[in-house]
Amino acid sequence: MIEVHTPDPIRYVNEDGQPVQALPGRFTPELLRELHREMLRAREFDRKLITLLRQGRTTFYAQSTGMEATQVGLARSIRPGHDWVWPYYRDHTLGLAMGVPMYELISQCLGTNSDPSRGRQMPHHFASAALKFVSISSSIASQVPPAAGSAMAQKYLGTDEITVCTFGDGATSEGDWHAGMNMAGVAQAPCLFVCENNQWAISTGVRQQTASETIHVKARAYGMPGYYVDGNDIVAVMEVMTHAAAHVRAGDGPALVECLTYRVGSHSNADADAEKHYRTRDEVSAWVGRDPIVRVERLLEHLGHPVSSEERADLIARTHREVDQDVLRAEATGQPDWKIMFEDVYADLPSHLRTQAAALRAEQDGGRA
Amino acid sequence: MTATQDRQSTDTPTPGTTGEPRTINLIQAVTEALAEELERDRRVVLFGEDVGARGGVFMATAGLQARFGKERVFDTPLSEASIVGAAVGMAARGLRPVAEIQFADYMGPGFDQIISQAAKLRYRSGGQFTCPLVIRTPSGGGVKGGHHHSQSPESYYTHTPGLKVVMPSTPYDAKGLLKAAIRGEDPVIYFEPKRLYRAAKGEVPAHDYTVRIGEAAIRREGSDLTLIGYGGVMPDVERAAEALGAEGVSAEVIDLRSLVPWDQEAVVGSVQKTGRAVLVSEAPRTGNFMGEVAYVIQERAFDSLRAPVGQVAGFDTPYPYVQDKVYLPGPNRILAACVRALNY
Repeated sequence: MIEVHTPDPIRYVNEDGQPVQALPGRFTPELLRELHREMLRAREFDRKLITLLRQGRTTFYAQSTGMEATQVGLARSIRPGHDWVWPYYRDHTLGLAMGVPMYELISQCLGTNSDPSRGRQMPHHFASAALKFVSISSSIASQVPPAAGSAMAQKYLGTDEITVCTFGDGATSEGDWHAGMNMAGVAQAPCLFVCENNQWAISTGVRQQTASETIHVKARAYGMPGYYVDGNDIVAVMEVMTHAAAHVRAGDGPALVECLTYRVGSHSNADADAEKHYRTRDEVSAWVGRDPIVRVERLLEHLGHPVSSEERADLIARTHREVDQDVLRAEATGQPDWKIMFEDVYADLPSHLRTQAAALRAEQDGGRA
Repeated sequence: MTATQDRQSTDTPTPGTTGEPRTINLIQAVTEALAEELERDRRVVLFGEDVGARGGVFMATAGLQARFGKERVFDTPLSEASIVGAAVGMAARGLRPVAEIQFADYMGPGFDQIISQAAKLRYRSGGQFTCPLVIRTPSGGGVKGGHHHSQSPESYYTHTPGLKVVMPSTPYDAKGLLKAAIRGEDPVIYFEPKRLYRAAKGEVPAHDYTVRIGEAAIRREGSDLTLIGYGGVMPDVERAAEALGAEGVSAEVIDLRSLVPWDQEAVVGSVQKTGRAVLVSEAPRTGNFMGEVAYVIQERAFDSLRAPVGQVAGFDTPYPYVQDKVYLPGPNRILAACVRALNY
């Protein structure tokens, strides 16, 4: 029985990897190992992308280290490629777990010709039509009202897709968040709202975002169930998320899941010295100790199916090789031509853009119009 | 065939439809366009504050919920961010949402949704997702509405790549442009000059037609001066042209109809012919869209100009309540600008 509006986050496995309630039967050692592999792959992807950043091969990166259980757990609780996702900008682990090819993600971060978004966005703002993973926007919470509309469209069209909308804790301060939640509630739209509460919006802590004790209680104001889950416990995330998604899919209206987790790294490379300015080393250390990947390793050990160090090292090495290969492959496709700047502004190129493009062509060709 | 009709190149009869043109007003044209598009395409949905049972505060959607059902014509929470944002989500999912914002003055809370989401979804996703929506909103002054019911905010939106911006001044254009907007693949901000809702009357064909977005209408041909306007100012622009005609001055009148994209060829060609241009709009002067029109005239027709380009606009004040009529560029102010150009 998954409870709504609990004062403490729902949890199945504690930080020592010990079950605190009976594990649901589907969490076999095989599944847990699979989940572990996906989380570790995303963690190593993070690590490698930070290296790329330091090498100057990309310009921006926002790690999801520490948040893997929330994002992989969500991906595992919906139907990738079937359900629609309106994500936020720290969701590359969600994308990877849903099946976005690493090559596409890297291409987007590098802005190469192989980037499906055609180099239009800063790194980390990817889109995948094949997976119905809608383009990420930087303006905070602006995806929330469209997600409500997406779910309303789904209700109108009468198919069994649902819409998933993710955001951080900071987004819940924006008017758009309240507007979108209210709209979905009133319309009883099949939308699963997921707050990845990592407790920091750049340097603004969650206590400066809201006077509300938790975020999930706000769901009540919009007429939907709100669930509170330990976002570093992948078993709990999947159980609660699957339950909430079923509620939404059944036509019982939207739901909000708040995953309590932590952004272990900085917001981005723009504030790499987070510990110096706005949070304490002790706080970070405490959350590093609640690492979702380590928790699954401890659980598997407890269940008598430990992940061997060779297995772990092999997966890490394979991920690193994959990233390296994809980076070289993406870089080999080159940077998009300036001409693409004028495409996709409108369905067809209007005459004023044709004129501007012609002027730029003349300039690019050294004055030869 | 008049020059105006000649430029309405997409006015094509639907085979099998017959009937005489009818005279209706601008808001009836809007209602007819919405009804016909709802009838034609099940993907079209219509929503906003009060649009359902009430039929909109100006009655633009009157009777549509009764005819097409609450699933397709519905009221929303009082939230412009929700209305616009939901339209974005619906459009991305393949519907053809037509959202109503009760007054253009209230678009502020939906502004981020318009410029960050609607305008950029196609571009930023590399064409993987698109956003074919229409936002309809009554705009402009002359109805004693004060500054929250009378503003002309079109320039904010003309400044945002990815949006199309239109403003009709006749029932014919109101119907044809709205149908074109609904059938198009891009987000369109469709401003309705509210003081013309019932004041502007005109013939519309009995058959289905659209007016291509981006084409101006030449309302009157002339040789001495070109008057260029759009939306609510057009009746006064035409009155000014008539007054000039009585004095023996031949003024050409162009109704832009579309601001993004806008018909540079019609404007430049006309100014090359007449040598003088006066631009008329009711939006505040600084940053007014007509500044772009003036720039293009001097860029492309400089050698033809016999006088500086004149501009008649609203003032750089919040729209005033008591001085409603003084604020708007009426025939006298338009005529004064024409005289300055003619006597330069």
